[in-house]
Amino acid sequence: MVLGAAAAGVRAMTSSSSPGISLMQEGISYMVGCQLPAVIVNFMRGGPGLGGIGPAQSDYLQATKGGGHGDYNLVVLAPSTIQELVDLMKEAFDIADRYRNPVMVLADGIIAQMMEAVEFKYEVDPAALPPKPWAVGGAKGRPKNVIKSLDLVPENLEKYNWMLQEKFKRARANEVRYEEYMMEEAEIVLVCFGTVARVAKKSIEEARKQGVKAGLIRPITLWPFPEEPFLKAIPKSKKFLVLEMNAGQMIEDVKLQVCHARPIEFKGKPGGTVFTPSEILELILSLEESK
Amino acid sequence: MVRTALDYKGKLKPTWCPGCGDFGVLTALFNAFARLDLDPNNIAIVSGIGCSSRLPGFASTYGVHSLHGRALPIGQGVKLANPEVEVVVVGGDGDAFAIGGGHFPHAARRNIDLTYIVMNNRIYGLTKGQVAPTSDVNFRTVSSPYGNFEEPINPVAFAISVGATFAARGFSGKVDQLTDLIVAAITHRGFAFLEVISPCVTFNKVHTYKYFQEKVTPLPAEYQPDDRTKAIEMAQVMQDVIYTGIFYRQEKLTYHDWISKIMEGVRPVTPKELVLSQK
Ligand SMILES: Cc1ncc(C[n+]2csc(CCOP(=O)(O)OP(=O)(O)O)c2C)c(N)n1
Ligand code: SF4
Repeated sequence: MVLGAAAAGVRAMTSSSSPGISLMQEGISYMVGCQLPAVIVNFMRGGPGLGGIGPAQSDYLQATKGGGHGDYNLVVLAPSTIQELVDLMKEAFDIADRYRNPVMVLADGIIAQMMEAVEFKYEVDPAALPPKPWAVGGAKGRPKNVIKSLDLVPENLEKYNWMLQEKFKRARANEVRYEEYMMEEAEIVLVCFGTVARVAKKSIEEARKQGVKAGLIRPITLWPFPEEPFLKAIPKSKKFLVLEMNAGQMIEDVKLQVCHARPIEFKGKPGGTVFTPSEILELILSLEESK
Repeated sequence: MVRTALDYKGKLKPTWCPGCGDFGVLTALFNAFARLDLDPNNIAIVSGIGCSSRLPGFASTYGVHSLHGRALPIGQGVKLANPEVEVVVVGGDGDAFAIGGGHFPHAARRNIDLTYIVMNNRIYGLTKGQVAPTSDVNFRTVSSPYGNFEEPINPVAFAISVGATFAARGFSGKVDQLTDLIVAAITHRGFAFLEVISPCVTFNKVHTYKYFQEKVTPLPAEYQPDDRTKAIEMAQVMQDVIYTGIFYRQEKLTYHDWISKIMEGVRPVTPKELVLSQK
């Protein structure tokens, strides 16, 4: 339905929680192939399979490395509060339109089930949205539009795929978003996204009070993954600490940034449980001792 | 050895809400197994996801608690791998007709020899009361706050129209009749479909036991389940009366009958013969 609505030129979205998102992967791949913008929201729960209904971050690799078939990427936005979720929804639609590509908003189940006061800081004027001359819906007076992803001539498909890659390259250059928190002189650098990052901020504040130079890099776009804050952080840093509500997925991207420059520690929670501030503080303090 | 219903009872106590219609289905199913004296080691209960799909966990037989909407293909997989096993597929109306709707016609057309029991509460129970493909028009739920405006699917009529060779309806408030119907479904050769009206006492405050008790009536004594058109007509009566019983039954070659026919006189090829000669 989202594919159809997007093909007809309106802003369309859907949301689900892990298993439903797995089911949609075929459609997402087709939407990329058809160059259709849409927003897909995934509130992750513990997997694999039915898993549980507790919050998790176990779909990171599926979202960032392409859960469907073919050469493609989605811009993946990871809010850590409900306010940020509200703010990012507008950006998600704008980015989708900008690249004619689906965008995924990837949050953990906590954000879906929590209540928090929010402010809607934007208004969207449907009349002011970018025109979509490629959409289907009446071809009177112009050549007809056909939305498709099929191309049986390998040379043509290759050309088409390089054109898609150009879009991903532009997204890589222009869409990176991240937050640095207490990164001044940071020696112990935490890397977390979503709810984990929110919890970690508390622990970092406490660690700083105790004289430990801890800081946080929080990727907001999980794809494209931020590079700059790592380049900036590495010289002063002693150790990196990656915390995820999964068995270790984003850590692969952190390794690509840090390479072997600094040791990277990992702690994961892959079943639906959540880090507590004191738990993270303890991890920071133990790293401080061993640094 | 004569078995009793207790032989099929699992160690886990059902997690359903007190009063849930699915208890009646579980009891009738165990009664039916006992009456047929089936070996629990030769039964596989296969389900999807939903409150009703928790059923295999409460039995002592083999079971697969599988993917939402995929109980039928998985049940067919079990039957294909081991035709000797008695396969009973169970689940909810959402599992069967929403997400799993695409599988139903093909399992029915294939006339594969298994029993499919759908516990119909006209709502999504497990996910706390959303509108289902069996919900009445105007029915209000958390996901249809202005009332449902999509025509409900009539499971028995649907089953008959897509080629099920056995289609029946029972009520979890009438366990004795339900036991008879399950026995008939299991003993039927081919795809046997049984809809069980099974109220969700927690989320469906309209289609309650009381609602159904006033309407549920056995098919007339003279009714003969051999006419598809008549069967579909009777299955669609829903206003003051809702019929229960066997609406349609037909003897037809099953999937495995066809395979045996095709295999007749076919000389089995040894793996060695399949290897291309190196010459
Ligand atoms: C792919 C997928 N989508 C959605 C869900 C969520 N879900 C679980 S059970 C269910 C529907 C339950 O209704 P029904 O099948 O009628 O069974 P009942 O709980 O009423 O017995 C849904 C939508 C899921 N588990 N997997
Ligand atoms: S929610 Fe409804 S269907 Fe689920 S166990 Fe309770 S009464 Fe039964």
